[in-house]
Amino acid sequence: MKTTLTVNGERHRVDVEPRRTLADALREDLGLTGTHLGCEHGVCGACTVLVDGLPARACLMLAVQADGAEVATVEGLAAADGTLHPLQESFSRCHGLQCGACTPGMLMTAAHLLATDPEPDRATIRAEMAGNICRCTGYVGIVDAVADAAGKVRRPGPA
Amino acid sequence: MTTSTNAPHTPHTPASGAPVRRKEDARLLTGRGRYVSDLVLPRMRHVAFVRSPLAHARITGVDVGEALATEGVHAVFTGEHPRIAPVALRARSALPGYVETDQPPLARGKVRFAGEAVAAVVADDRYLAEDGAEGVLVDYEPLAPTVCAWEEPTDPVHEEAPDNLLLSRTFRAGDVDAALAGAAVVVDRELTTNRHGGNPIECRAGVARYEAADRRLTFWSGTQVPWIVRTQLAELLDLPEASIRVIVPDVGGGFGVKAVLYPEDVALCLMAMTMPGTPLKWVEDRVEHLLAATHARDHRYVLRAGFAADGELLAVKADVWCNTGAYSVHPWTAGIEPLMAGGLLTGPYKLADYECTVRGVATNTSPSGPYRGVARPSTVFAMEALLDSGARALGMDPIALRRRNLILPADVPYRMPSRLVDDSGAYEACLDKAVETFDLGRWRAEQTRRRREGGWPVGIGVAVYNELTGLGRAASAGPRMAFRTGHDACTVRVQPDGGVTVFSGVTSQGQGLETTMAQVVADALGVAYEAVEVRIGDTDESLWGFGAFSSRQAVIGGGAAHLAGEEVRGKALALAAALTEAPVEELDLRGGQVYMAGQQKPVISLAEVGRVAYLQSDRLPDGVEPGLESTRFYDPIRGAFAAGAQVAALAVDPATGEIHILDWVCVEDAGRIVHPVIVDGQIAGSIAQGIGGAMFEHLVYDDAGNLSTGTLLDYLMPTAAEIPELRIGHVSTPAANPTGVRGVGEGGTLAPNAVVAGAVADALGIEIDDLPVTPSRVWELVHP
Repeated sequence: MKTTLTVNGERHRVDVEPRRTLADALREDLGLTGTHLGCEHGVCGACTVLVDGLPARACLMLAVQADGAEVATVEGLAAADGTLHPLQESFSRCHGLQCGACTPGMLMTAAHLLATDPEPDRATIRAEMAGNICRCTGYVGIVDAVADAAGKVRRPGPA
Repeated sequence: MTTSTNAPHTPHTPASGAPVRRKEDARLLTGRGRYVSDLVLPRMRHVAFVRSPLAHARITGVDVGEALATEGVHAVFTGEHPRIAPVALRARSALPGYVETDQPPLARGKVRFAGEAVAAVVADDRYLAEDGAEGVLVDYEPLAPTVCAWEEPTDPVHEEAPDNLLLSRTFRAGDVDAALAGAAVVVDRELTTNRHGGNPIECRAGVARYEAADRRLTFWSGTQVPWIVRTQLAELLDLPEASIRVIVPDVGGGFGVKAVLYPEDVALCLMAMTMPGTPLKWVEDRVEHLLAATHARDHRYVLRAGFAADGELLAVKADVWCNTGAYSVHPWTAGIEPLMAGGLLTGPYKLADYECTVRGVATNTSPSGPYRGVARPSTVFAMEALLDSGARALGMDPIALRRRNLILPADVPYRMPSRLVDDSGAYEACLDKAVETFDLGRWRAEQTRRRREGGWPVGIGVAVYNELTGLGRAASAGPRMAFRTGHDACTVRVQPDGGVTVFSGVTSQGQGLETTMAQVVADALGVAYEAVEVRIGDTDESLWGFGAFSSRQAVIGGGAAHLAGEEVRGKALALAAALTEAPVEELDLRGGQVYMAGQQKPVISLAEVGRVAYLQSDRLPDGVEPGLESTRFYDPIRGAFAAGAQVAALAVDPATGEIHILDWVCVEDAGRIVHPVIVDGQIAGSIAQGIGGAMFEHLVYDDAGNLSTGTLLDYLMPTAAEIPELRIGHVSTPAANPTGVRGVGEGGTLAPNAVVAGAVADALGIEIDDLPVTPSRVWELVHP
């Protein structure tokens, strides 16, 4: 099926089988392998992307369902000149990642959290990030990183 | 370590000890990681495995006709394929009484666990390969399955072991029966621990490509042990070792589960060899991972301990059964868990009279293999349960009883009853600091207050443990295998422009070893951290490394990196001395510049020295070869024990069994610390996995051998909502190795079973004998 996906602001026309997941379309058809697959049944959250601004499991969504939608993936977080997003900076500073497999989903979930609640407390961060499993960090660095980035995300960047 | 005694005025900032920015982060944070799952090669095809739905059955027929007729399918392989049928993985050990058994790359004749690969389908993409897999029709004749390792089998898993016993060994020291007879109190416990597994977020993955023209096999893999894989593949595939290249790019977690050579790896390579020029890719999905990646910790402990009236531990007698699953894990053997259990059961406690019989028993379940902590999360639970029972029987404070028996600094080197030599003795220091940080008095008061005034009862759990890390040749991991895993190699090369490239034998599954190795080399050589680039995970680039297991890489790979860096430093200074006509003993290399004692300005840069070394051989002194590099091996000979203690307070709802973790403190001795944030990250992550195993994670088989926890909806891993804030502290006793580090990869996992079980028991006045400690189990114990 002919499908139009707008990913990180760029329009792509792909021809996919109806059964193809959004995650596979991103990874295999568009070469955007930053979105990771951890369970392919909607539990681990590694494949989380934003579809029209809302977090979605790219493994549970079909590519054709995203026809015409705006999809945001981890590749679109940093600025075009390579400047990291405040969340990416905070994840590095606070050791919010080790192997990096859950990281894209963590970043996209956190980006949505901070877009809706710019100053969450630690309990809120823990509850809101509970849909994403990390196997490396014990979550300490992740919670630290989201807390560290809170408040910086909406600050206007340099013109 | 770099010293700056010759030129005290020049600023020098060591990279080690500082939380420098990880070299891995830039790519991993921006979606530019390079994982095997991401790899795309020309002409690449995709593999799906057909897996057995039965735990134990004879294969009476396989019909691949429909699969081959499926659109997009190019080939279907079974265990009878002429290239595959002669090959078997056989985990070897010279241990007396060990029964060697074969594991076929694809099942042949019979299946031994639900999930075992029976056939493989090669197609244009994974969707089509799975379509084809549905068309493979296998006829089975069921056999009686054995699921529990301490029940009599009807149909043995392997003919060679009619009683399913693959291995048994008795550890003996002193006279345990006499010591028990003389004890003031004797306590008995019978415990089981729960089968669970590593479950890295990236499952297993491999791409195999064979080029017939030059007989070269390239295997991209998420393995933790690329050199072991290369050696084993060379033997199994009958290829020269130099014709095999194992490439391990970024890996999304390992935890031991990827420190195994799997039948799927071998099948993938064999299939690729029959399809030259066609790279074959297999990416495991989570359902396959839960079914067929190695499991761990399915154990039973029958224990007896005797104590003197003052609390001295006099004797421990133990019978241990470890469920090794359907196959002896390659290459570690069925001994991996039982031998670790018997060797380390007594942990950080002094004991003279010990008898422990361990068994590795085959069953019709997924094979058991290395998982972070290997057996010790179970043995620490067993040992601490004995101490808690002893404290109750003696009416002693449980922490005082532990103190009474710990191996102290004055006791080291301490020969454990299993004859391992403990070099740490920092247990009491860890326990003291943990108890102080935790504020035991405050929590005891809260416990009393709740008993008086109501509210969920609070329990306090404690565990002290020793983690055997960085094992050298004298204490090397693995039971009398054909290889000793005591050493790693590292090459440090100064490039013609003065840049530094490190080719290390370590592998990283998230531990940040590019960063750690760069820190070590920067300091040993005398350059800035930023000037060092680290290459790992390619058997054609680096010389040798056994890989990631036994918390060994910072100790052994770091030791090799330090020695190689130091040696290149010597060469660079010698050349600098010749070029500047200065006495070499007056020269010092710091921040990539060579300084003369007492002078502020550098006399020559490392870049200039490098340029001469490669490009201006006419300026080289007589007898000095061009180039500027060194390769060194390091083997610590023994190992570095790492001490740790964890204390926690939990609240339990007696009505529902719900458990809340209120506070969790861990203090470990990591020796000298290279990267403080990475070290704390290792500790926090391993505690979280330990809590997962203690409270949530359970791979459950029904009596027919079906895995009833086959998705992440049933197999529960803790999230940010379950793991509490962790308070991590340190004592530091530098180990006797080049960098002074002790391993930290696994220690954190060792305590949570014991801490959670001990705390819930303390809260409710019950004994916890079986893990995991779930709300339903607590409810059952409270409502017998």
